Amino acid sequence: MSISEGTLGELRSKGVEVRRIDKEYYEIFIGPQHPGSGHMRFRVKLDGDIIVDADPDIGYVHRTMEKLSEGREWLKITPLVERMTIIDACNITLPYINALEKLMDKRPSTRASYLRVLLCEMNRIASHLYGFGIFGVFIGHSTAYMWGFGDREVFVELSEILTGTRLTYTYHIPGGVRRDMPQDFPQMVRRAVRYMRSRMPEYEKIFLNNPVIVTRLKDVGVITKNRAAELGVVGPTLRGSGIRYDVRLAEPYEVYGEIDFEVPVFEDGDALARTWVRVEEIKQSLNIMEQAIDWLERHRDEPVIPKEDYDKLPKLHKEVYEKSGRVKLLPAQISMKVPPGKAVARGEAGRGEIFYYVESDGGTMPYRLRVVTPSARNAIVFKRILPGHRLMDLPTVYGSIDYFAPEADR
Amino acid sequence: MPPRAVTKSVRKTGGLFDGVKSNVEALIIGVKYFIDPKRMTMFYPKEYLEHRPGYRGFIVLKKEVCISCAACARICPSAAMKMVRVSEVDPKEPAKQRQKQYPVINYQRCIFCGYCVDVCPVEALYHLPFHDVTYESLGDMFLTLDLFQKEPLRPVEKEGVPVVYEVDETLGLVKRERKGGG
Ligand code: SF4
Ligand code: SF4
Repeated sequence: MSISEGTLGELRSKGVEVRRIDKEYYEIFIGPQHPGSGHMRFRVKLDGDIIVDADPDIGYVHRTMEKLSEGREWLKITPLVERMTIIDACNITLPYINALEKLMDKRPSTRASYLRVLLCEMNRIASHLYGFGIFGVFIGHSTAYMWGFGDREVFVELSEILTGTRLTYTYHIPGGVRRDMPQDFPQMVRRAVRYMRSRMPEYEKIFLNNPVIVTRLKDVGVITKNRAAELGVVGPTLRGSGIRYDVRLAEPYEVYGEIDFEVPVFEDGDALARTWVRVEEIKQSLNIMEQAIDWLERHRDEPVIPKEDYDKLPKLHKEVYEKSGRVKLLPAQISMKVPPGKAVARGEAGRGEIFYYVESDGGTMPYRLRVVTPSARNAIVFKRILPGHRLMDLPTVYGSIDYFAPEADR
Repeated sequence: MPPRAVTKSVRKTGGLFDGVKSNVEALIIGVKYFIDPKRMTMFYPKEYLEHRPGYRGFIVLKKEVCISCAACARICPSAAMKMVRVSEVDPKEPAKQRQKQYPVINYQRCIFCGYCVDVCPVEALYHLPFHDVTYESLGDMFLTLDLFQKEPLRPVEKEGVPVVYEVDETLGLVKRERKGGG
């Protein structure tokens, strides 16, 4: 039975989506049972095993972060938005706090800035290694998976020692951070840095330069420079296409402007280049960690919240800070009022640029909070870049842009 | 030097020699770790992790210290902490009863953010450095005031050996047995 054009037109006018199914094509669904790093689904149309159309069906883990924030006090938003990307929680929440600080006209203490940078870079490494592991197992290289997850544990452990928890740190507060580092922390960080440096050549040998892997990644999912700019992709995906852009470079936040590091850029635009960007970034993050910990060791006396705030703290709060490095919050901070205004802030998370727009009407909760996450901006790659590839290249492209569904869906 | 962008290029591969060399290199690394692997597996519950002090684990209330200010319940981002009203003997005038509010916790909701511990103006709440306590039913996770004052039993402590992980320069994380616990 076939439907006449008239009926189709009628359906269309009622807002029903009508599309013709081509008999020659196979249509398959990939997901939403966790195809990798979260719940999302692809609707892929195949001619033989050549993808002719790919439709990323996102939104399975949409949790209305923006709307939920409108009903929460300022401090309580950090633990909420951090659940977008728990593996990259420090980077993902920092711009929110930066925007809040702009509204409150508060500047973090330098020590807090260095601690933030230190945790951000540890988090970036952990996040890249996570992505790397997932990528490895996608393309059947389970060693990369084991290695990535094993070595990530080093940085997760360090974060735990610094913040008290493995992933969801809730570490930033306006004007500072919640904990100072323990006495023996610098040695641990240095040991971890040296360890990871010695590991990098091994990663290159077993994965990146391994001919089996190179064959799978080379010239797959090519995004040219123009195309990358046109699609608006961010992060390692953008830098893998030869565009020299990184928020830490374009608009340095915290103390990134004072730190000596490189932003690696690769020209090829394929899956291999994107993987190399992340590997080179790990090396740079190790450099940043070293510089940050050197600074922190030299300036032990500064408090991790602004001096004037510290002086106002009650006696017990100061005692606790001196004894354990824990910054106690004041009950007045729960329902603090933020001056009316609008602020934007952005930062470079593991997967790219994260952007926050925060608007206050002078109350105890935001009037509006808008967040644009890197994965949300990279999702377009699936639609535009996948057609023309073989089905076996889908995991390669997915893994190489390090897509993280909960982050994209918010 | 300030941060800067640097263009790098992927190592050019090609040719028979290069292919064979890279393959052999990958195999050598693989074999090396096959013979001498880096293991960090913890054999739970025969072994259990001893976290450092400062770990944000289960929370305990010191009722005598609490001044019933409700700051902890107000700051809780997931509404896990609630105040309950109890009538108890007034310590100053033992003949009298008094009404007082104390916090109780619902571990079904708690995300261990540690805000409550940090906001308490008199340090009446503290974290225990562990996470692995089981409850028989979901309802049991809503602690009563009495239970909230007791440190919960950690079942693994009965039979297991405490271990700690240390960051090592050559092995990454190394598991070591912690003598004497604590
Ligand atoms: S740790 Fe956080 S979520 Fe748990 S009770 Fe305290 S404030 Fe609430
Ligand atoms: S914040 Fe501390 S003193 Fe106040 S009610 Fe909670 S436990 Fe009691």
